[in-house]
Amino acid sequence: MDIGDCYVGWATDEDIRTRGASGGLVTAMLAAALEKGLVEAVVVLKKLGEFEAVPVVTSDPEEVKAAAGSMHSVPIVLSRYLEYGTKVALPAKPCDARSTIEQAKRGQVDIDTTYIVGLNCGGTMHPAGTRDMLDVMYKLDPNDIEGEEIDKGKLIFETKDGKEHAIKIDELEEEGYGRRESCQYCAVNIPTMADIACGNWGVIGDLAGKGTFVEINTTKGIAILENAINAGAVEITPADDKGKAIRAKVDGAMMKVAAAANEKYLSPIEGSHLDYYMNALANCINCGACKTVCPVCACGETAKCTEFSSASDTYKMSLFHLVRFVHLMDSCIGCGQCTDVCPVDIPLTHIYRRFAEPMQEEFEYKPGMDMTTPPFFGVDLIEEGH
Amino acid sequence: MAETTATGTTSEEWQPKIVMFCCNWCSYGGADSAGMGRFQQPPTVRVIRVMCSGRMDPVFILNAFLEGADGVLFSGCHIGDCHYVNGNYKATIKYKFLKAMVNELGIEDERLKLDWISASEGERYAQVVTEFTEQIKKAGPSPLKPEGVV
Repeated sequence: MDIGDCYVGWATDEDIRTRGASGGLVTAMLAAALEKGLVEAVVVLKKLGEFEAVPVVTSDPEEVKAAAGSMHSVPIVLSRYLEYGTKVALPAKPCDARSTIEQAKRGQVDIDTTYIVGLNCGGTMHPAGTRDMLDVMYKLDPNDIEGEEIDKGKLIFETKDGKEHAIKIDELEEEGYGRRESCQYCAVNIPTMADIACGNWGVIGDLAGKGTFVEINTTKGIAILENAINAGAVEITPADDKGKAIRAKVDGAMMKVAAAANEKYLSPIEGSHLDYYMNALANCINCGACKTVCPVCACGETAKCTEFSSASDTYKMSLFHLVRFVHLMDSCIGCGQCTDVCPVDIPLTHIYRRFAEPMQEEFEYKPGMDMTTPPFFGVDLIEEGH
Repeated sequence: MAETTATGTTSEEWQPKIVMFCCNWCSYGGADSAGMGRFQQPPTVRVIRVMCSGRMDPVFILNAFLEGADGVLFSGCHIGDCHYVNGNYKATIKYKFLKAMVNELGIEDERLKLDWISASEGERYAQVVTEFTEQIKKAGPSPLKPEGVV
């Protein structure tokens, strides 16, 4: 098994196969890693309801097997749950993986003991927004929903009476529902930065729906997959070229949609920029929630943004936000958590992206994609040999 | 009372407020040389000494604007001459970020300037200050200036 190899795999356990999605490979792999002692803990998503899930750290393989992924989970800030150096396996969307890598660069997470099992992601939805959407767009009672899936550009909800209700995602997003805004313009769908990238794209023929496409990205990826195979929890077969091509095609199509959304949302501001930003931030109540959830902020309790600003300032703009703007120009991964948690609904991710996007493009630096690229302030100094 | 200043303007004309950060080893010395050599310069600049241009924190500059500065200048040793090996190089990286940020924020980017002045360049110091003052005069008062601050 080598880095760059692609396989299609599935769980050997019948039960995991039927309950998990796409053959249950990820669940089986995580459970095997715990059982064989490769890791001490696994982060799983525990469903709170049909629309919400919370990340839970567990060392019980049964709990891993019982856990099911959810479309509505928010990105995981791993360093908040675990002590540095804990051997852990983390199923991760691309933004989870990128945030974990950024935390590792800042000494918050030990990347050598963190197995990132990447999952393809086409976007997530906000729990409260989803309830709203069901009410307004689908005319359904949110409590009647039993399952959901995305297929061929449609978002499908299944109600308890077994009926399926489908609406095109484009239509939903035009009305302001559907995926979170940051997901709409996120162009990273396949977690190539994770140790191992899993997903159902590219699984074709007889295996469609019954297997998971796996791409190995690092030696840690080999370790976790081989561990599962040796434990007899997983079976794999090499992926064929047609499957690989289909996977790349799906990714390409998603990236195109994301680029279009990016252009739409981050179109130039009309009128005075300063007025726009002052209006957008006018409602800020200085709660600091955006900083608390930010996965790339490793400053802790006493940070430059909080120490140099106070609620009694009478400046035209809050220094807290100005410092955060500079701070995030080189490191914002656009995960969207700041917007989600803002109690006064300031579109923070949107604003941060406006600052970060041109800079990250200019320096051709995408944060969280690999460990070899340090946060930007360090990059040039190393390159120039200073 | 109309008082004639170095640039030949009168105090009734609007005078910008400029905050200038000078590094201890070069530019602060440059300011001294300018005074010693009696090079004329407008009295618009408030000099703050920092040990190195690499010490310049974006917070200083943003705070200067929020407190009512019409322009911010920061200055250090020429590239290669840094007293602390590569401090001025770090300053250029921060400057790049700050420039982009100030632009996006809607403050005209000519309000922020980074320049290199060595300790012996008194004349150059006076020239940089004069030119920058003219530039800010054209741009007018900063939009971030708090109400009541002149």
